[in-house]
Amino acid sequence: MGDENTALSTNEVRHVMRRTGFGAPPKDLDKLLKKVGYAPTRGNIAGELLSYKPKLFKPGGRESYTAHNKWVSYLQKPKSPLQEKLVLFWHDHFATQASVVGEMKIMRGQVRLLHEYAKGNFKDFVKEINRDAAMMEMLDTVRNRKAVPNENYSREVQELFTLGVEDFAGNPNYDQNDVSQVARAFTGWDYEYPKGTAYFDTDQHDFAIDFPSRGPKVLFQTHGGFGPAGRDFAVGGEGEPEIDTVTDILFDHTDTDGDNTIARRITRRLLRFFCHDDYANPGPAEIAIIDQIIADSGFATTWDLAALYRTIFVHDVFFETSGVAPYGVATKKAVKWPVDYFISTLRLTGMKLRTRDKRVLGGSYDGAFGHLTQMGQVLLEPPSVFGWNWDTDWISSSTLLARYRFARDIVAARGSGRFRPDKLIDLELTDPGQIVDAVGDSLGIPDQVTAAERQIYIAYLTDNGANPTLDLGDDDVLNTKLHGLYALIMQSPAFQLH
Amino acid sequence: MTVSRRKFLQGATAGALLGPTLFNHALVRRSLANAIGNRYLVVIFLDGGNDGVNTITPIDDGGATLRQAYDAHRDTGGGGCNLPSGNLLSIGVDPISGANLGLHPSLQGLHDLHTQKSAVAFIQGCGYPDYDLSHDTSRAIWQSANRQGAPLPGGWVGRHLAGCYGPLDVPAVAVDYRLPADFGTNATSVLAINRLEYFGFPYDYYDGGDVAAKRAAFDAIHAEASGTGQAQFDYIGNSGASTLISSEAYPQLHDLYQGARPAWDAQYSALDTGLARDLREVAKMIYGVEESVPDVAARYFQCRTGGYDTHSGQGGEDPQGRHGTLHSELGDSLKVFYEDLEDMGVVDDVAVLVWSEFSRRIQQNNTGTDHGSQGPMLLIGGEVKGGIFGNHPNINAVALNGDGNTPYTQVAADPFRSTDFRDVYGSILKQWAGMTHNDVLTMMPLDSGAAADYWTVEDFDLDLFLP
Repeated sequence: MGDENTALSTNEVRHVMRRTGFGAPPKDLDKLLKKVGYAPTRGNIAGELLSYKPKLFKPGGRESYTAHNKWVSYLQKPKSPLQEKLVLFWHDHFATQASVVGEMKIMRGQVRLLHEYAKGNFKDFVKEINRDAAMMEMLDTVRNRKAVPNENYSREVQELFTLGVEDFAGNPNYDQNDVSQVARAFTGWDYEYPKGTAYFDTDQHDFAIDFPSRGPKVLFQTHGGFGPAGRDFAVGGEGEPEIDTVTDILFDHTDTDGDNTIARRITRRLLRFFCHDDYANPGPAEIAIIDQIIADSGFATTWDLAALYRTIFVHDVFFETSGVAPYGVATKKAVKWPVDYFISTLRLTGMKLRTRDKRVLGGSYDGAFGHLTQMGQVLLEPPSVFGWNWDTDWISSSTLLARYRFARDIVAARGSGRFRPDKLIDLELTDPGQIVDAVGDSLGIPDQVTAAERQIYIAYLTDNGANPTLDLGDDDVLNTKLHGLYALIMQSPAFQLH
Repeated sequence: MTVSRRKFLQGATAGALLGPTLFNHALVRRSLANAIGNRYLVVIFLDGGNDGVNTITPIDDGGATLRQAYDAHRDTGGGGCNLPSGNLLSIGVDPISGANLGLHPSLQGLHDLHTQKSAVAFIQGCGYPDYDLSHDTSRAIWQSANRQGAPLPGGWVGRHLAGCYGPLDVPAVAVDYRLPADFGTNATSVLAINRLEYFGFPYDYYDGGDVAAKRAAFDAIHAEASGTGQAQFDYIGNSGASTLISSEAYPQLHDLYQGARPAWDAQYSALDTGLARDLREVAKMIYGVEESVPDVAARYFQCRTGGYDTHSGQGGEDPQGRHGTLHSELGDSLKVFYEDLEDMGVVDDVAVLVWSEFSRRIQQNNTGTDHGSQGPMLLIGGEVKGGIFGNHPNINAVALNGDGNTPYTQVAADPFRSTDFRDVYGSILKQWAGMTHNDVLTMMPLDSGAAADYWTVEDFDLDLFLP
């Protein structure tokens, strides 16, 4: 059992960088190591990464295409890679589609909100999201009126943003009556167009006296551990206060094991994000770790996300995917998100997105938007309110080809904005094994290439031994073999994982 | 040294430059088992929950009070979702209630296939017991078709494929970036090809005679990964290998089709909708199989079209409204696809199944509809027996559940008895895809529970196809 004083190897620091940011380029690795006096421990690295002061980035542009490109451009050199990784997690969690929202001003506002709260207090975060103009537009809060309540947000705030449909034991966390009742609490909320400031319209709110047929304003009479009386959400005053009262009640919800439902679900999702897919459907061993992390961080009472992240980053579970090659049945890995693949590949190869459509001046004419569309993850356009499907669901023949194509575009970039391997490795190297190692090092995965893979790369460089040494000063050798090796590694299964 | 891009790509797609595969996972071959024979199955998913009551709508009351109930729930004013009975496109009579039924006026294309070809089975009231109103959960139930039994892997099409094909086959293609869960299986390869034209393997244009070496290395790296036993490495190793080989076979289908069928190609373009473009990709692949293009043997296809979650701004019969636009996209593209297949001489070998994860609330909200229970499925094809199957859901206020939705019922005497979607799947697998009754039942086990409330007696003999 490690803890925050456990020392980290350089490869483990690379792992931390891969999982909390966008790859481990040698320069960034050195910068991070220097900050901890070249004596990295789980605790000091986590503290360093979490010390960022939130930068309230919001992508400009009148259209989601432009905003997407500005966001992606920013990710090439973010102030804190961890903050951006967290924002991507929350963008998926509170999935909102710019195409549904329509007005980019309010969509931007939500991206700013994600930046502000990504390591903040989760309960406050949800309360802000409840009043976020883009979310009110996305899930119809603005169309949720007393005469005919619209249940869209009410359902999703429970199903997706907080409780989940079922608890770990497979029992439902709420029923249709809870959905109808929460919808009542949210009636009357709207926002000023196009500024996005939320306001409460008393005239559109459902007051109990006007709608006796809808029953008492009570939640969770059968679920949530509140007993048959449930919880009265008009108790703090009817009208404007209900939106927060309901949220407070949700955060008190306990599952059939008697544990806090939201704390368990959010921790589970974060472990799935930062660790691996065993946390998609946790068994007893995973649940024990989830509960331990909640207890150690105090998350179920403080809702402090920074403390939760820190507890995860010093826990053994976070290092389960740091495995060094070779891999076997027991090895844990996770598939990189497309945006992660795209951004880390750029950062590791030192390539920059150019021109208005943000492309690598390489093989295809695709810009960032085209590449990420084909890889299956366009920012600001999650496929639905459910966000994206993770892990191997990112992988299909189509999305793999898109990744291969982007890797090709990078090495095929010649002329202005060309691929510059001379800046990544020493071109004086002639030994194929040393070249493979240097390329692996520059791509931040020296520990992730198996001996067998190394032999395949050497066989490729030497044409099965026909040319036992390489002259990288020869343009033809450089352009075929070294560019080719970079593409092969970036297209390899190991590079799709972290 | 350099080869022009065009010339290079031609060489690459033809496979001439590349020599025989070094990789032992030769995933593309003509299928071994021919359960479906020379037929095809196309599955179209309407993502978001299609409003069934505004897809097939009662024109009158018949012997019940369906139209009255409909008018009571659906507003006629501005923002209302009411479809006036006079403009509905008549398709026939509800079998037991006797009400005349009609399609949304924007489903003209589908109506044409009904009136001109008698090629549409309208299967009403499709659902399952204890319906779930979450998109995610309900979609998963439809895709797995296995709610109450012991967990079975994959989706309903996927389990069928696993029974008929091996790891060396590629029997199915989704026209998408993602793989749909109903086609999920680990036993055989399912491709996701969003656009055939761009499915070629991306080599660097700076060739230097190195392509064969690159290909061999790519092959070897993926063979290595797929042998580790590590879940994600295995998966990506296998997927990468089948992608490489398929990328050398499938892209040519685009040019082949465009060259041979330019007038049909233009018809899809003229519709200018996502579903039309996706169905055109299916048409290209079917054409390729019919033309015996080597290493192209897919018989199962999937398309997905979204936007059906019409909580607001649904629109009534307004052709520019959200639901109207979706309906014309669906009906018009199905019509062109059908006629294209007919012209190819293959329409009698194709069945198209259309489904959605649920229908919508009978009572509208202010300008749209919330999540509901049972809705219609459609089956279209040259050998499909046209007409109305199953019963219209009971939308009378007194019959609705507390949540405002039609309950699922298997009471035989009920004039509004529901259709279990698994009976529709089962009938297709049995009658169209050549599975035995028992095999279907094994891969789609019955529910346990009361016969009136659950799916406890299978009916895989819905009369959906011509004799």
